[in-house]
This record gives sequence, structure tokens and C-alpha cells, in this order.
Amino acid sequence: MLNFSTEQRILELGDIRLGGQPGELPTVLFGTAFYGKKFKSMDPEAVDEARKLIRAQEEMSQLTGNPAVVDVYLGDSETVAGRLDIVLEELPEKRFFSVDVPESAMRREVLRHASQVGISHRIILNSFNLGAEQEELEALKEHPPGCAILLGYNPKDFSVDGRIDMLESGAGIMEKGLMELAKEFGIENIILDTGATPFEHSAAETLRAIPVMKNKWGLPVGCAIHNTVESWLWMKQYRREHKSEYLTCDAGSNALPVMLGADFCIYGPIRNSGMVFPFVAMVDKFMAEGADDYFGVSQDDGHPRRKLT
Amino acid sequence: MMYPWRGEFTIGSPNSQIAIDTLSSKMNFPPELVAIWGQHKTENLGVEKIIANVVSNPNIRYLILCGQEVRGHRSGQSLRALHSDGIDGNGRIIGARGAVPYIENVSAEAIARFREQVELVDMIGTDDLGIVLEKVKELSAARKEPFGEPIIMEFVERDKSSRMKSLTGKISIHKDLLVDPYMEVEIMNTEAEQC
Repeated sequence: MLNFSTEQRILELGDIRLGGQPGELPTVLFGTAFYGKKFKSMDPEAVDEARKLIRAQEEMSQLTGNPAVVDVYLGDSETVAGRLDIVLEELPEKRFFSVDVPESAMRREVLRHASQVGISHRIILNSFNLGAEQEELEALKEHPPGCAILLGYNPKDFSVDGRIDMLESGAGIMEKGLMELAKEFGIENIILDTGATPFEHSAAETLRAIPVMKNKWGLPVGCAIHNTVESWLWMKQYRREHKSEYLTCDAGSNALPVMLGADFCIYGPIRNSGMVFPFVAMVDKFMAEGADDYFGVSQDDGHPRRKLT
Repeated sequence: MMYPWRGEFTIGSPNSQIAIDTLSSKMNFPPELVAIWGQHKTENLGVEKIIANVVSNPNIRYLILCGQEVRGHRSGQSLRALHSDGIDGNGRIIGARGAVPYIENVSAEAIARFREQVELVDMIGTDDLGIVLEKVKELSAARKEPFGEPIIMEFVERDKSSRMKSLTGKISIHKDLLVDPYMEVEIMNTEAEQC
């Protein structure tokens, strides 16, 4: 459907390939594990549940051909080592996984822990953003992760230009752009998240930024567009008695970035993998056929286009 | 217009001097006792909405922060930090531990007014309705005068990017990205003919 004149880089993250021209590779899907009250205590029942959800996502990945990334939510110090151990036990050797760490101080802690246990090279930092404090910047320099998601969220300007400005120059808030800093830290693999914003806060610019950023940098680009659906005021009321309709919108929102050339989607709770993977695989089939028919972009046998005939 | 910024809130008595931020917890209150209450998810846009709506009603003199903290965003801690220390020159809430604690859409005047207008009652972590109601009754008895005139902050749409019209045969996505549906194919055909 779309093709960029800028060369599109393909990253090799362990056994996951990410990027390329639209329709070339399957969309990489990030499901967030350990998010929710249930997993706060990490009791045996919760751990068992988390393992089952990680395996279920992996099974969906095997079925559709869409690579799966476990996005490990890390909200407090006590759970870091335990959660990472579980994920390392469950994932194939060398598989990358992302760490979703909202607080800057915690990100610093996680980067250090990852370095101590020798897994920095498999970490996708979710995300490197303007919330980073000085201590985090120092930790990034000292213990760079194998990959980082750079977040284009710019509270001063939600337009595409504003989001690009955050990555490029720091938007007058940071001394340097996130892109320059990530390169200085020696982070080898950089991927870009356009930074989902709510409806009436330039939500569509989240999507418009995808092809613009891909065209500008040739790097893998994506977003967590389901967050826009989650923050939709009307839906908050409606979903109370219409859960399946909400889940349809939540999963369905992932079609939008993929149609605009996104390479990955952060789709929310990993428990939704059963709904999201076939849905995105279907969109990938459209994109792949469109890319092949018109631009001569071919796909290998592992692509949903070939696997799900 | 009172409470000009849309959000996930319920309106009670406009004469009450109490507003309640329940963070991630769902709670309901007797409308005759509370001016406005609701959940609050984010450390940036959510905080801005609370500021804009509180300063629109000078009768509100107490803001109770209760319910369970929002994981990751630390919305309650961020609001408490804003009330205590304000923002720095870049718009960052001083001392906030949330993910992206920046205030960009409300004026310095409104922030200063908010900090002066309301006394913040920190009950973060309390989602027992009875305990919060006790505090509401206690505060209702401690009457304060309304805080001057309302400040009404209309939600202002941001400047749009420079618009462009679609050119014939091309799709414009953005000023830096024109998609020409024929160009690539023409190039590919030319290359094929040369082979």
C-alpha cells in the first residue's frame, strides 16, 4: 500500500526481525505482562497466570508468524528480579524482551540490574523519553540496553512536527534530542514510538507521524495506539456493560498504525494476544499483498501471508 | 462556565468547598456534600484538567486526594508535588515521580491560583468510602470564604500544522511526505526495460 524512497533499516533483535518496507515483514507485537493488581503480590497463582499468558502469546506468534515481544511491566523495586527471572525462563534463548518502566528512578535501577545479570543486550527499553532524569542518563551511558524505544511524546506540541522535534532536538525541554542521546550512549538498535495521545489531543497525529518518521529516518516505527482507545471518555462508560465491544475497538485500533506502515504495535495487556494476533495478521496479509502487487516487495514463508492461507 | 474542561468526573453541589480526586479507584459521594469528584489517570493532561476545573469554581477550597495510586503514572504523587512545589522553567512538576510529569496547557497564573485556592488533603491509598466521607464532613464544617473570582480557561486547540492541499495524482500525508502513487512504478518499469 505504501513504499518509502528512503531505505528502511531492518533490525535483528535476536530471532526477531523488525522494520523494512511496509508489507515486507510481519508486524512485531508487544504484549505487556504483569500489569494489573493481580500481579502485584507475585504469589504462586499470579506467577502461574503470568507464565500461561506469556506462553499463550508465544503460541499465537507461532501460529500467525507475527513476532512476539514480552513487555515486562516493572513498577517497583521488589518485583524486578523475580519478573525478569520468569521471563528469562519462559523465552527462547537470545530472545529480546522489553521493559516497561514508567519511572525514571526505576529505569535506572532496571538498567543496572540487567547489566549485573548480563542481559542488557536482550533488553528493549520501553521507553527512553523526556521524563529521563540525569541519573537515568548516566545509567544509560554506563549500561546501554541492546535496544531502546524512543518516545516522541512532546507535551508542548502534539503535532507531527512536535513529536519529531522531541526526537531530533529535545523540543526545548531536553538539552539534546533523544536520537542524539541514544547514539551517544551507544545504543545499537533504535526504534521509534510516535507517542499515542488521547482523542481531542491530536490523536490522529500519532498515526500521521508513522510514515513521516519512517520516511525521515528509515528506522522501525510504531506506537501503542490502544492507549487512545483506553482513554476515550465515552467508551469508559460504554465498556462497563459492553466488554466485548470495547475489546473489539481495542484490538481493532492496531489496524490503523499498520495500515500507515508501522513495524510494531504495543497492544496492551498480554491477555489480549488471542484477539490481537489474528487481527494484525489479517492486516499484514492485506499490506503484504498490496506491497507485492504494486511494489514487488516479497515475503518469506514465515509471513502471515504465506502461513495463513 | 463552571468546569470547562471535559473529563471523567461527576458534578455535585456547586456551593460545596470540596473536590475529590479518587485516582485509580471508583468511588461515589453524596452530591450535596461534594462539588466535583472523579478518577484521575495521568500525571500531565489529567493534572491540567483538575487545575482548570478547580480554578473555575472559587467555592472549592479543599481537594481530597484519595483512592489507589495510578501505577506508573503516579498521578496522585504528581498532583501533590505540583501543589507543594509547582513547576520548573521547562514545565516539569518539581519532585514528581510519574512518567512524563509536564504541564504545558495551563498558565502560570492558573497554577499559582490553584496552589493558593485549595488546601490539599492527602489520603492517597485510602479507598474506604466511610473514612473519606468522615473527612468530607469534617471539612464541610470548616468553612472558608470563596477564593475571589473564577478563572475560566477555555480548552484551546493547538495551532495546526501548515495545511496543504492534495495535488492531482498525489496523496499528501504531511508537508514533508508526498506520496506519488505512480513515481515508484515508473522508476521500476524504467529499470526493468534497461535490463
